[in-house]
Amino acid sequence: MVKINKNILRSILVLSYINVIVIVFVGISKVLCFLNTGADRSKMLHTEIKKIDQYLPQLEWAPLKNEGRPMDMQTLKAIETDYLDAWYVKHVAYKTNTLNGIKDYYTKHARTAIFDVVTQNKADRISIDATTLAHNINLDFFSEDGQLAVLTDSNVAEYQRVFKRDTLVYDVKSLATYKAILLLEDGFWRIRHLRKTAHENVPDTIAPALTAVKNIKGINYYPQATPWDMYGTAFNPNRIAKDFEIIKKAGLNTIRIFVPYEDFGKANVTPEKLEKLTTVLDLAQAKALKVIVTLFDFFGDYEVLNYTLNRHHAATLVNALKTHEALLAWDIKNEPNLDFESRGTSKVLAWLNTIIDLVKSIDTVHPVTIGWSNAKSAHYLKNKIDFVSFHYYENLEALQDTYAMLQKKMPHKTLVITEFGLSSNKGFWHPFGSTAQDQANYHKLCQHIFAKHHIQFMSWTLYDFTKVPKEVVGRLPWRKQTQEHFGFIDQNGETKPAFKYISKE
Amino acid sequence: MQTQHLHIVFIWYWISVIFMPAYAFNFEADFKLITTQKVFTAGTPVTLEFTTKNNTQPQLYVSNSFGATLLTPTAIKNRIQYSIPQHIASKTGVIYWSLRTAKTPLNGQLTIVSAPAVDLIQTYLGPPSISAGANDYTMLVAIPTDAYDNPLTDGTKVAVKRQFLNTQRIDTVTIQHSISYKNIFSTLKTGRILISSSCYAFNSKEYDVNVMPAPPYDFKIRYHRHHHFADGNQITTFTTSTIKDAYGNTTSDGTYVEFFIKTKANYILKTSGTTLDGVATAKMIHPNHEDTWSVKAFVDGMAESDALVLNYKAVISDFDLTRSTDNRKITVGPLFSFMHQMIPDGLEVTLDVYRNAILIETLRKGTSEGYVNFKLNPNQFPKGNYTFKVHAASITKTLNAVALW
Repeated sequence: MVKINKNILRSILVLSYINVIVIVFVGISKVLCFLNTGADRSKMLHTEIKKIDQYLPQLEWAPLKNEGRPMDMQTLKAIETDYLDAWYVKHVAYKTNTLNGIKDYYTKHARTAIFDVVTQNKADRISIDATTLAHNINLDFFSEDGQLAVLTDSNVAEYQRVFKRDTLVYDVKSLATYKAILLLEDGFWRIRHLRKTAHENVPDTIAPALTAVKNIKGINYYPQATPWDMYGTAFNPNRIAKDFEIIKKAGLNTIRIFVPYEDFGKANVTPEKLEKLTTVLDLAQAKALKVIVTLFDFFGDYEVLNYTLNRHHAATLVNALKTHEALLAWDIKNEPNLDFESRGTSKVLAWLNTIIDLVKSIDTVHPVTIGWSNAKSAHYLKNKIDFVSFHYYENLEALQDTYAMLQKKMPHKTLVITEFGLSSNKGFWHPFGSTAQDQANYHKLCQHIFAKHHIQFMSWTLYDFTKVPKEVVGRLPWRKQTQEHFGFIDQNGETKPAFKYISKE
Repeated sequence: MQTQHLHIVFIWYWISVIFMPAYAFNFEADFKLITTQKVFTAGTPVTLEFTTKNNTQPQLYVSNSFGATLLTPTAIKNRIQYSIPQHIASKTGVIYWSLRTAKTPLNGQLTIVSAPAVDLIQTYLGPPSISAGANDYTMLVAIPTDAYDNPLTDGTKVAVKRQFLNTQRIDTVTIQHSISYKNIFSTLKTGRILISSSCYAFNSKEYDVNVMPAPPYDFKIRYHRHHHFADGNQITTFTTSTIKDAYGNTTSDGTYVEFFIKTKANYILKTSGTTLDGVATAKMIHPNHEDTWSVKAFVDGMAESDALVLNYKAVISDFDLTRSTDNRKITVGPLFSFMHQMIPDGLEVTLDVYRNAILIETLRKGTSEGYVNFKLNPNQFPKGNYTFKVHAASITKTLNAVALW
């Protein structure tokens, strides 16, 4: 007995010893492992440098006829990049009243001019949120040793918002001409001299589109399987074609679709996504449906400094689609007035203004609108847009009055209700919600009002959805549940009673 | 009828008289610019003065070439004054201003021009060296600036002065695009051009450009050797003539000259040298057998020399082979040179060992005091019959069917 006990003791001792060794061994190896992470040889030389697009104003070089040494494309590109970066760092400096990056893009003498302005503005609590939207550069001179270049940058479209103690004092759009002398120092083309030779204020342009919208009987469209993610990997043209068939047969003539900003690659639009969007328009064209394309979905930046990126994005889309037969109109942004509170009304409106200007500068044919989320906001920028569109989710009793009042306020503007609908959300989360029959009655009444007042409309939406991304209404299940049941066709693909009133009373 | 008309006119008159001042007051601007001057010289104080009818002090937005700011006025009675800060008023270009009044804002522009006085001439000269011959040139870019670092106005004259040997020259160029430049062509002779510029009696410092020789022209070569025997020991020296460019300038020191030697058997030997005062020297050891060399020198891609032919006479006509008793030691020699002196150490002798007509080994050795001994290791060459071929100075001697034991 005693012997066995001793053996047990011994084995326990040996085992625990081994255990301790294993723990120590594993511990040390983990520490070594941790210390080795990040020491990837391939990353040692920082050979992989990713260029981030942070500033993409429209830029055009005049044909090269410079004095001095003939220019080569590589140097020209280097000058262009550094010159634009110089503008960018200057904007950042005046916005934040800091001097980051100024030294890289302005020579020792030139930068003092910027330092002086920053010092004064900082002391007076002035900040200037600015950007340049377009540059037209002519190379005047390039020195024989390739170290000095003189440019004339004409019609520089500048936009500035000037704040004092965080209050907007002035916002100004101008066209200016600059003369710049750049020196190649430490591999940077730095600005040595900069001289504004002309300045002209630009009034707000109002450019009516060549076409107008009439008789819109439409619907907002997302495929049932992939709402708010129409151009992802699950993109299914056959399904979309079938849906368009349903929409056409239901007596509707227009759809409203959304282009998510980030999903489409932000500043540089991903070609595959654009191809899918074009396919959607092609499919609509095949069914003789017109399309209102809503830009900048899931976007809320509005920063002046990023205008150039947003405009680059919009320019790509507008250029690609402006000749498409199915295109009816551009909706600049869906419900931007929801950002008024968090971002500031004037900031959002200024952003909308610049995007409208851009879209109109590229596409003079198709009308432009903004999808305001309520009738109250519908008057904003009414002179800039071609027709006024707003969403109506309020009580139907007030609809006729609201519409009449808006029409009275803007007698020469076409009004379109681009979203309305009722969720048949009665269920666990909404015990007193609307039933499918309530929804049918709602649409019936809507159609009655629309017919009576010749109101152009687009309903929300074709389908009940099974999954609503959290970015749309948040995570709360009762909100999601509401958003899931706005459709005319339920989650099983069966038409709901409201379907009868999708296009007429 | 007439009186009725008169009445209407009368009533209208009185209405106009009563409401006119109010009307005018309402529509006349609250602020009015007094300052009439629109163009200022950089650095002079710039003040914008307005009359005001109320006591508000609106902000004045000003922007110039480099930036923008807001200014707060100083009020004197019914006037307000904005003094543009020195750092904005001292930069040439357009100053745009806008008075941010509550009602209709006032806008305007001022122009700042540089003073016709130079504080500094920024000079950029490049490339720093050019080649002679009046084809190549360097460019002088001069940017005269005023006391506030503004380039002078276009059209201002700048003198570009240069000196070379005994000549001096002054050219006048005008400022265009804020800069002035002058292409300075090279001279026919090499040397240093001194350059300076001046504007409004301000003189820049001195800059220089080196005129380097143009690419070399074809040249000649000669050789020097102590004797004409192919002893594999002495050295032949090749020398170029003074290499010059088309304008008679001696080529730059360090120009690389490569000598190509073609042997009788069409092998190419190469040697090289760099020039010093236009002369390059290169050396080559004598062949160890009778040979004829054809030599030509090149400055790669630019110039070449004429061809030179050299003959080397054989020094060895024959040699003896002696073997040890077991045949494992073969002695070559004595090898005599041209005066029957022992050939200098180092002449290469090779021994080819054949077994069954197959070459199994080649042994190489240099002579030592006229002899070479080859020892055939029994581990490498086991007992048997071998054939040996001995080569020295292009002479081959064969020993057939030698038994090693």
